[in-house]
Amino acid sequence: MTCSPYDLKDYFLDELAAAACGLVEDHLKQCPGCREELERLRLTRSALEALRDEEPPRRIAFVSDKVLEPSWWQRFWQSGPRLGFAAAAMLSVAILVHAFARPAPPAPGGRDTAALEARISAEVAQRLEPAIAAAEARQAQRAAQVVAETERRLEFDRRADRVAFEEALTVLQKRFSVWLTASADLGVRR
Amino acid sequence: MERRVPGPAGACSRRRVAAHGARVIFREVEDRDLIGRARRGEVEAYNLLVSRWEKRVFNYLLRLVGDREDAFDLSQETFLKAYQNLSRLEDQARFSAWLFRIAHNEAFSLLRRRKPEAEPLRDPPSATASYGLFPAELSLAVQSALERLSEDQREAVLLKVYQGFRFEEMAEILSCPVSTVKSRLYTALDLLKDTLAPISTRGVP
Repeated sequence: MTCSPYDLKDYFLDELAAAACGLVEDHLKQCPGCREELERLRLTRSALEALRDEEPPRRIAFVSDKVLEPSWWQRFWQSGPRLGFAAAAMLSVAILVHAFARPAPPAPGGRDTAALEARISAEVAQRLEPAIAAAEARQAQRAAQVVAETERRLEFDRRADRVAFEEALTVLQKRFSVWLTASADLGVRR
Repeated sequence: MERRVPGPAGACSRRRVAAHGARVIFREVEDRDLIGRARRGEVEAYNLLVSRWEKRVFNYLLRLVGDREDAFDLSQETFLKAYQNLSRLEDQARFSAWLFRIAHNEAFSLLRRRKPEAEPLRDPPSATASYGLFPAELSLAVQSALERLSEDQREAVLLKVYQGFRFEEMAEILSCPVSTVKSRLYTALDLLKDTLAPISTRGVP
């Protein structure tokens, strides 16, 4: 430990701001203990620097081998700006495709629009009337068929009822005749 | 001591020279130029970048793992991984810290695999190492003092004293807070000071 206003090792390792360095230097002028500590640190660094760098046993070099190089898609995915550009390009293409794929909008201009509307109205009227007539004819024909069918069924029912009535009447007449005959027989016997 | 101070790839220095009537502008080729060209697939630009950094990376790894062949293999792995991931380097000015972070990861991957074994076998200083300015005993003493530190402490000394990184860069390389970096480094300096300061006083001619 030293009595320096800032850590002497920070000063020694050049990690202090200029103002702090000034304060430490002022302190060092007055403090033999800190000067001695700083001197020991400098001697230590001198000793450490006695260890010289060694040369690597061989040079490191790469050749242009496709195996070592990242593939184009690796480079692409690892690159944010390129990805952003690609996204923007795809969006542009999508907008263009959409613009060409949809039907062309009507040309601007009041006269053209009015003429187009008149033509559309005429064409609609021209096609609508026969369509309505055909639909009405179909409707009328179907109604006639329904009426005819209903009448046929009613006629059939009427005939059936008449036949039933006639049969019932015949049965009654026969019973009446039987009853008359029986009563006549009864009168004769008395 | 042959050392380059890391950090931003250096101020752009330009020099104009009149040569044969034409004006030629010399500009230092900066690391960021080489990184840009390497990213575009220029292997030669990357090789130039490797040649600038291989000695520093090799010596950092050598002092960390203590074996020349291991240090060389790790250096190759470091530069290969750096090349493959160069496009992920966001701030090109921080290339040195990024490169040493890869080297640190490679070294500690090896050191973890070695853990069951005892102390790593350290190569004696090679014949190519030059100790002309200082007695060989001092170098041996330094090596011995560094070996006595823990791996974390030794690495803090290597990054600060030998590689000149700032605390923030060291924190980035080691993936730990600046306070941890300072604690490791200062403990290491205290230990080294007790051993080396007296030797350095006596031994330096």
